[in-house]
Amino acid sequence: MTAPLLAGVLALAALPAAQADDKAATPATPKKKISGVELYAIHCNRCHPERYPVEFDQRQWQTYMLHMRVRANLPAEQAREILKYLQEEAGY
Amino acid sequence: MKIRSLILGAAAGGCAAGMLVPATGSAAVSEEAFNALSDMVSKQGQALEELKKTHEQDQLVIQQLQQQVGQTSQLATNAEQKAEAAAQSQTVYQAPNPAQTTTHNFQVIGDAEVQFGKSTGQNPTFVLADFAPIFLFRANDNILFEAGFDITLNNNANADGTRAPGSSTTVSLSFAQLDYCLNDYLTLCAGDILLPLGTYSERAAGWLNKIGDDPLVRDWLPGSGIGARLQGALPVGQSGQMVTYAVYVANGPSSGNPTNGFANAGDLDLGGNVGDTPNWHANPSGGGRLAWFIPWKVHYDLELGVSGQTGEWSDNRTHLWSACVLDAALHLGPYFEAKGEYINTWFGTDDLGNLDPHGLWVQTSYKLAGLKRDWPVINNLELVARYDNSDDAQGTYTDRYTVGYVYYFSNTLLFEGDYEFLKSHGPNALPPQMWMLQLSYGF
Ligand code: HEC
Repeated sequence: MTAPLLAGVLALAALPAAQADDKAATPATPKKKISGVELYAIHCNRCHPERYPVEFDQRQWQTYMLHMRVRANLPAEQAREILKYLQEEAGY
Repeated sequence: MKIRSLILGAAAGGCAAGMLVPATGSAAVSEEAFNALSDMVSKQGQALEELKKTHEQDQLVIQQLQQQVGQTSQLATNAEQKAEAAAQSQTVYQAPNPAQTTTHNFQVIGDAEVQFGKSTGQNPTFVLADFAPIFLFRANDNILFEAGFDITLNNNANADGTRAPGSSTTVSLSFAQLDYCLNDYLTLCAGDILLPLGTYSERAAGWLNKIGDDPLVRDWLPGSGIGARLQGALPVGQSGQMVTYAVYVANGPSSGNPTNGFANAGDLDLGGNVGDTPNWHANPSGGGRLAWFIPWKVHYDLELGVSGQTGEWSDNRTHLWSACVLDAALHLGPYFEAKGEYINTWFGTDDLGNLDPHGLWVQTSYKLAGLKRDWPVINNLELVARYDNSDDAQGTYTDRYTVGYVYYFSNTLLFEGDYEFLKSHGPNALPPQMWMLQLSYGF
């Protein structure tokens, strides 16, 4: 039971390297990357009423988005895009 | 000025003497003249002595002045060097960004609820005042500590459950976990962690729940546990799809009555195994959740998850407690949501053999703003309906139908009302009706 689990965990830990290789291999015309505002619209009112960017300042969003990245188990890249959007809109 | 006058005086004296000496040299020197001359010479000697002293003093003053000048110029050089060093150090170490300093990243958020309700056979009353702060400490972009409390007021009761005067405040720790994002695909959570058994306990704050009480079947699962979890998410394609995963170990349930050596059904303690007490079973439980999130356009998505946990629960280590949960959540536009969980648990006992408490809940809700009418109050209303059931595997079975509404004063200030019809039978049957009003605020 523990052996396959451990192997899985190790494989995941090695993922960033594998992903880097993938990137090099992607064709020249990748699909349009999903934007921060779209990701915000997709995720941020799934579990609770939407929290508006202007409700908090940039530093607060940095903390809350880390909290949400963990709580909603969001992909790191998506969390970063959403944070960028929130901080831009928060404005200060 | 003083030096100069003395020098002039001495010079004048010298000249006078010079003029006198030849004058007297050529003739025979009278004793009187000689005496006058020697008197003058000795006076001149004194003047010279004085002059020497003054000169020495002046030298001293000049030396001191020179020293001071030296020190000042050293200070100036030091200052220059310091300025240079500071300039260099700034290029090497950036001045701390306020957003990155640990001491500034402490925030308190959370929620508060007041509930008023009535169930069959009881008087209507304020049944709950709850303050649930969450403390967030962020060290950097990857490290967060989060601790959530539930602070509630309760009527006092005697140990046997009968009435006692007065009230007491209960503070309970809902979770206290350190989250460390190891890389983009793995995050370690350790401490009193929320268990990813289904999704309910991770999405349960008062301003998130559209109904004021929990599905009955959640009673058969622990909400949190002392342990550690690895979790992460893998994006699939470019449309926002993702697969999420979590594996964990936690102390798991224990038997609340460890002295009699037996593990009877009534001894199962789902949430109590939180410390190091001798005699409790030695091995922690293991569990995990795997889920697939599929958005097909903004506000339209489906999430499907499967999770489970298994491990020893009895002190004599002969019995296992296990759980399996299927969860789903569906959004069709910004106004419609449906979600639910099917929960099955199993545990072995010394007195009743194997038991399997189980049940399910399904909840749908619709925000009336979706009707696109220009009605002010209606547009802030959401209608909610839930069906849930629960079978405790010891003779009590309950079906419950709940209808209610949520009125949104703002996105985090909610006024909810619910009416519940219950069909319950067995030794622990619940009353047939109940209603409640709840004011929730997320801050
Ligand atoms: C998986 C469900 C889930 C999703 C998706 C989610 N949240 Fe949350 N959010 C929660 C829960 C649960 C809380 C209440 C805090 C708690 O219980 O820890 C919360 C609380 C918050 C808070 C209050 C501050 C805090 O950190 O707790 C903010 C702000 C917030 N969410 C913003 C967002 C944003 C922005 C997004 C979009 C990325 C988002 N949420 C997506 C579950 C979710």
